Amino acid sequence: MKVLIGIEIHVHLLTKAKLFCSCSTDYEGKEPNNLVCPICLGFPGSKPKVNKKAIDFGILAAKALNCKINPEIFFSRKSYFYPDMPKNFQISQYEIPLAVGGYLEILGKKIRIRRIHLEEDPARLVHVGGDITSATHVLADYNRAGIPLLEIVTEPDFTSTKEVREFLSKLSSILEHLEIFDPSKEAGLRVDANISLEGGERAEIKNITGFANVEKALNYEIIRQKNLRRIGKKVERETRHFDAETRSTHTLRKKEFEEDYGYIFEPDLTKIEISQSWIKSLKMPELPDKRVERFVKQYKIPKQQASVIVYIDKALADFFEDCSKIYKNYKQLAKWIVTDLLKCLNWNKITIRESRVKPKSFVELLKLIDKGKITERLAKEIIKEYVPTGKSPEQIVKEKKLVTIKGKKELEKVVLAVIKENKKAVDDLKAGRKKALEFLVGHVLKKTRKTADPKVVRELIEKLTK
Amino acid sequence: MKSLVKEHIEKIKSGKISLDEFISEIKKKIEKIQSEYSPFITIKIENPEKKGKLYGIPISVKDNICTQGIQSTAGSKILEGYVPPFDATCVKKVKGQGSVIIGKTAQDEFGFGSFSVNSFVIPKNPWDKTRVCGGSSGGAACLTALADFPHIAMAESTGGSISCPAAFCGVVGITPTYGRVSRFGLIDYANSLDKIGTIGKTVYDTALLLSVISGYDTLDSTSLEVRDEDFTKYCEENSKIKIAVPKEYFGEGVDPKIKDLVWKAIKKLESLGAKYQEVSLSQTTYALPSYYLIAMAEASTNLAKFCGMRYGFHSELKGNFEEYFSQIRKLGFGEEAKRRIILGTYARMAGFRDAYYLKALKVRSLVIQDFRRIFKKFDVIAAPTMPVIAPRFDEVKKLEPIEAYMMDVLTAAPNLAGIPMISLPCGFVKSLPVGLHLMADHLQEKKIIQAAHTFEVNE
Repeated sequence: MKVLIGIEIHVHLLTKAKLFCSCSTDYEGKEPNNLVCPICLGFPGSKPKVNKKAIDFGILAAKALNCKINPEIFFSRKSYFYPDMPKNFQISQYEIPLAVGGYLEILGKKIRIRRIHLEEDPARLVHVGGDITSATHVLADYNRAGIPLLEIVTEPDFTSTKEVREFLSKLSSILEHLEIFDPSKEAGLRVDANISLEGGERAEIKNITGFANVEKALNYEIIRQKNLRRIGKKVERETRHFDAETRSTHTLRKKEFEEDYGYIFEPDLTKIEISQSWIKSLKMPELPDKRVERFVKQYKIPKQQASVIVYIDKALADFFEDCSKIYKNYKQLAKWIVTDLLKCLNWNKITIRESRVKPKSFVELLKLIDKGKITERLAKEIIKEYVPTGKSPEQIVKEKKLVTIKGKKELEKVVLAVIKENKKAVDDLKAGRKKALEFLVGHVLKKTRKTADPKVVRELIEKLTK
Repeated sequence: MKSLVKEHIEKIKSGKISLDEFISEIKKKIEKIQSEYSPFITIKIENPEKKGKLYGIPISVKDNICTQGIQSTAGSKILEGYVPPFDATCVKKVKGQGSVIIGKTAQDEFGFGSFSVNSFVIPKNPWDKTRVCGGSSGGAACLTALADFPHIAMAESTGGSISCPAAFCGVVGITPTYGRVSRFGLIDYANSLDKIGTIGKTVYDTALLLSVISGYDTLDSTSLEVRDEDFTKYCEENSKIKIAVPKEYFGEGVDPKIKDLVWKAIKKLESLGAKYQEVSLSQTTYALPSYYLIAMAEASTNLAKFCGMRYGFHSELKGNFEEYFSQIRKLGFGEEAKRRIILGTYARMAGFRDAYYLKALKVRSLVIQDFRRIFKKFDVIAAPTMPVIAPRFDEVKKLEPIEAYMMDVLTAAPNLAGIPMISLPCGFVKSLPVGLHLMADHLQEKKIIQAAHTFEVNE
């Protein structure tokens, strides 16, 4: 059964001021309802005023996503009653959005982008005494109200959760490279997803926060719809809510027809002309695709690895380049970043930016391997402690007395001892049973507390048992 | 008529009167007027903090214009007790010029009406207490007519709310070009139509206050970036005015005695050197319905914010959000507000939006073109302001909503087009004042002020 997914992504733009007033957008960790004014609270008589910086940022995103930017745009009022809405209408864009008709390529496939527009974020709601459907009351924090949101709407071009994940990751990296978005901010990126099985009705899942949850929500929803079809039931057209705790989706409201927001033009704002000179005046930084190409060329690393480094996170790509200034074995560097470093970051559920991993200490680890002071195997152990703590790898080696056996003679002694103690295994080995070799290697490693290089040990055993 | 304002400014300057004595004197007068005619929703007399062009001049402010520290309800119960945390730009400007703010004048709820009866304070006509003042700036015009002391009113028009009460109360009212005066701090009725203007006893008075409150404001994106003008310098006689007289404004529904008076006024101007010609404004018929569609569509969104959550009328928290705000809106809004919310919402809903809201916007462009065509050849358009004299309260009560809306038939088009207009008294019918309406092209306030002044000094 073919799955069809289309998504709407809302990202907080990194402007200093809100979209229609001069209040600060830096609301995280602030006392609720402090970063507010008559405009973002929708007081009678207040009027919005467009923050041009938000349009600059929108234009950059539209360009990066290969969109056509409309030469004249305006804002509209989208009306609906909700306690997070200061005016009970949202200033958004309707007929003529900022940009239309773009695409983003992932996994060799073009995902079409239908439109990009700007709108104001509503307040943050805190549900008290339950979740969205069972809360006894709701607290509203208008610090978030009025923060510029960029809404990016795709066509239903995704056929798997994996494609959505790749798309979001690359999109996030692009927006980060444009310096208009900070992926580390909670609620900085929210997704609405429309999911259907070919030939069936679609369900919309609203307001999923964060990458990981998008994947969980989509996976759950696909299984739910497939199961319904399997038992001969129909998927209903409805809006669903994703519960991050139970990792499941629930009916929020049935939708028999399109919601009617009664759009009118925002009469407090004038049309905004977006001239070619305005567009040209905005400097486009190096974007992820170009950066991957450059990495391949400049550092001679495999494209697959370069893509991982760049698309996951701009900070990771920056980290790679910072390391490259003090460590010239780029292939080794790239390999360690995409394998063990990422694995450990994921394990600890942190990003490179949040971690205490720094170029100097990370390169120190790689140099220990290069100098033969530790084995790769040992390095894999050390990095597990290094990533969450940021402790110097040399320090870790010292503390744990994890020094590689330097001399072959020392190692030979251990190997000989193991041979002596495991007569049967040695006989088996001589009889051609390969498994016995691994058994003996294992014993040697155990004795050397994994400080020996297995490859060297293997050669030694083969030599000494001949 | 001599301008009391002009005299007063001189007297204060030369020290002939003390401001404190003057203020305590007008306090008594204001209380007396209020007890008989109710032009105010709130009386609050504030001594000036600064000296300037309007030093010592009492200014009343329509209740839908926000005044910091003074209750501003826009005539609605849903905003009862609401004290704005900021001054509207125009209020800031008059305070900066040393005026004496005296209080907030009565109006139809949010400006919804032509008689100032849709509210909790209903002003009475200065010429006959059984009659209405007109609306929605009824309190402003009422007070202006009654004050025997220098005073100018700050009013507001969406579809005729300055011209109508000025005509019914026999005073002068200027509605400037849309965008001439910042709307920052104006409690919205229909943002694309709302204009703050002035009402005074003489053309000079209205021009003076308009000069102070006009000008570009960064807080209102729709305010116009034009250079400041001193409109009082246009209070000069001009004998070379070219007047257009549109036949659609002298149609069947207009009281023949009013038509006669307006024609007399036009002939008077002719005798002073002006030239006139009859013309046709063919889009006039469509102006009224499209005005109401746009105004109501915008109003229905503007009123959504009033839900008893953040300011204004509150009640005990009961039920869910929808139940709570429905109850607040049921109790807080008057009948006309509810009617306009329903009609306005209908006009912008899918399936009707194209036929009503969007079509009305197209008509608006045609109405503007219609006026532009006339103003290529003429300086001003002259017409009656209102089709009738001020009706009695009992007559108004019997009107169907559609009949009440028809009151704006002569003022809707210029308001829809956003052109400047002035209404000034041109005689009496049954001892009640009649207004002459003069309109000019966008930003040509100069022309209506000259024409009005020429008529005024020779009347």
